[in-house]
Amino acid sequence: MKEAVLEIKHMHKTFGPTIALKDVDITLRHGEICGLIGENGSGKSTIMSIASGRQSADSGEMIYMGEGWNPATMLQAQNAGISMILQEANTIPGVTVAQNIFAGREKEFSKFGIVNMKSMCVAAEHLLKKFGVEHIKAGDLIDHYTFEDRKLIEIVRCVTDETQILVVDETTTALSLDGREILYKLIHKMAEEENKTVVFVSHDMDEILEHCSVLTVLRDGEIVGELSREEMDAPDAVKRIRYLMVGREIGEKYYREDYDVSHRDEVALELKNLTFGNIKNFSLTLHKGEVIGFGGLSGCGMHEIGRAAYGLEKLDAGEVICGGHKVKTPVQAIKQGIGYISKNRDLEALVLDASIEENIVLPSLPSLQKGIAILPKDEHELANREIDALRIKCHSGKQLVNTLSGGNKQKVSFAKWYAKGSDVIIMDCPTRGVDIGVKQSMYMLIEQMKKEGKAILMISEELSELVGMADKILIMKNFEVTKEFMRSPDLKQTDIIEYMI
Amino acid sequence: MEMKSNAAKGKKLHSKNAAMIASYGGLIFCIVLFTIVTPLKGESIWSPTKLATLMSDVIVTALMSVGAVFIYALGNLDISIGKQIGLYAAVMVTVGNLTGSLIPGILLCIALSMVIAVINGASGPLLNIIPIIPSVVVMQVLSGIITVIFATLGTRSITLKTIDYSIFKSPVLMLVVLVIEVAVAVFLFNYTAIGKQARMLGANKVSASQSGVSTVKVRVLCYIIAGICFVVAAIFQMGYTGSASDSTGTGFEMNIMVALILGGMPISGGMRSRISAAVVGAFTFSLLDVGLPMVGLPTRMTFIVKAIVFLVVVLITSRSKKSNVLPK
Repeated sequence: MKEAVLEIKHMHKTFGPTIALKDVDITLRHGEICGLIGENGSGKSTIMSIASGRQSADSGEMIYMGEGWNPATMLQAQNAGISMILQEANTIPGVTVAQNIFAGREKEFSKFGIVNMKSMCVAAEHLLKKFGVEHIKAGDLIDHYTFEDRKLIEIVRCVTDETQILVVDETTTALSLDGREILYKLIHKMAEEENKTVVFVSHDMDEILEHCSVLTVLRDGEIVGELSREEMDAPDAVKRIRYLMVGREIGEKYYREDYDVSHRDEVALELKNLTFGNIKNFSLTLHKGEVIGFGGLSGCGMHEIGRAAYGLEKLDAGEVICGGHKVKTPVQAIKQGIGYISKNRDLEALVLDASIEENIVLPSLPSLQKGIAILPKDEHELANREIDALRIKCHSGKQLVNTLSGGNKQKVSFAKWYAKGSDVIIMDCPTRGVDIGVKQSMYMLIEQMKKEGKAILMISEELSELVGMADKILIMKNFEVTKEFMRSPDLKQTDIIEYMI
Repeated sequence: MEMKSNAAKGKKLHSKNAAMIASYGGLIFCIVLFTIVTPLKGESIWSPTKLATLMSDVIVTALMSVGAVFIYALGNLDISIGKQIGLYAAVMVTVGNLTGSLIPGILLCIALSMVIAVINGASGPLLNIIPIIPSVVVMQVLSGIITVIFATLGTRSITLKTIDYSIFKSPVLMLVVLVIEVAVAVFLFNYTAIGKQARMLGANKVSASQSGVSTVKVRVLCYIIAGICFVVAAIFQMGYTGSASDSTGTGFEMNIMVALILGGMPISGGMRSRISAAVVGAFTFSLLDVGLPMVGLPTRMTFIVKAIVFLVVVLITSRSKKSNVLPK
């Protein structure tokens, strides 16, 4: 057995009344890619965020490289060799790529307190090249880059020669195929050639099974299983891991099982010759009871289509029509029964500082008015109805949204529009960063909405869910639809990919 | 284990409410201190005269601050408030002397306050500038207008001539008006769409507007509500002496800011905004104003003591905010 690099013993962590970790023991070894899998709120991110100095444990012991380990900050951990790439964006806006890469290390480039930007840029260019992301230029402002590129920049910043343990926390959901390849290559090189340790936190079972050498499964803050590579290769591994994660059989049903692509005749939403930004002359008709999926790489323009349909983009030409009215602003869109779930859950879809109830009722406030008053009783009723219907895990509607796990937050953003009774729902990456248990319930919800005659525009970076859920899939590339697929049992992801790249 | 999680819960509860505890604590501390100490010096702070002094000291700041909560909740700052008070006072006296009644002047002021509210509230989002900028412009324009008014009149202060304004010196009326204003404000802030949407806008503008909150509409309405409160405050400012001068209202916006922060209002607005912050903050400072000289502190020291109280509250409040950041 390989030598241990980090040992965690009896770790406890609570957030208020929520127990995040219960007496967790885990040992990370040199040269391994350790997978950590579990549902949202299972504690998988918490373990590593404690080891990398982002927060501290309530009790327990950590031994890193043979010595007691208790980092106070992420920077301290990074300097000592434990780096973590976070799920959320973690770059500093308004400064250059090079300044981001060397944030906190400016001293290396300063003389008499003045930072030599030129040499910093050169060093950054060198690093970017080493990681195979030459298309990013060190001197550019970071704001010019997409979410994906910024994630890659974070990787370049985090990983140094001194890095002993690299924690990749749900990072791949933000990356396209190319970006993922860069990351996979890096972690294999680190583990296999440099004898370092990679901790791979993910929801994506395929990814975990393909790349990890050991796998730890967590549920409700406890380790419920550890699998060796051989066990991961066993034919029933996926089923076993799912069972461990959820703690019960989730059944075979996951995506829709019917192949009925019929829909009602009434048009729910019409995009007519939209021209804005890089999109030219785009048209689409969405009917009641129809699920149209949009797929493509990030930056292909599909997210912008969703925004435009909700009145969030300023159009140069064309119009969005819903219920016989033009839609130019979100206020008009909501009036016509459109709901929109942004890809950017924490910044756009939810008000994190507000409670679950306040978030759920927000779009419905105008209809809750009695005269000008809104009775708290009506708010509770509406919110509690949705909390029950969507099984949002919380102790009450008063709980703040920022205390919820990703999957439960996403349920809240669904609940807003369900409560409002929206007939057209535009969902951008509806299951991003959401675990299988919640995913399954989202898919059931989408199926149910289709049956109720609601129209759904589903924009997704996950081809499997488009194939699994949509009646019609539009694949976009370079701001144009390159191919249209109808729902069919014969449709394979591999048939689709070539139209994306 | 059980005990541990309870302890953690208690700790969280404490840090979450530390801002509120600090601000209420400041007020309660002042009340207790002055209740115990002032009788030793031979005069109770609860004597009718002292209460009257307290009311007249607090009334203008409290009335203004209650209105300003609607602006601060949005995450906005308005530094034109002092000059608004100055203008309204001048208008009320001038129009009052011309017409022999205060009513036309007050109505004119309400109309003016609406115009100012539209400018302050709408220009930020429409022109895509931070909202403090229009309020700076408005402040300068109002200063200009006030200067012109007093230059034209050829004096630096004007007084009501025929109208009896003694009623505005009544502490009972002050209290009644304050209670009514607070009640209306609490209703609007907590039980109507405007108040709820304002807090959501302050907490996260992008998600609020994606959830159907109209930025311009809510902002303008908030500024209008605030503006009406400012007019009410101006009536008492003017009514106490029956006069207005070219410096009336100067610096009042700072008093509001201090009162709100002292009352536990987050300067960034959002979900933790409360109307009570205005009342608590305004009364804390006025209690110090009235109480400190009574316990024998020289007037020249009052500012320093007030600054220390302010500092302590701010330190506790800002510390609790940091520990409130929960992990994802």
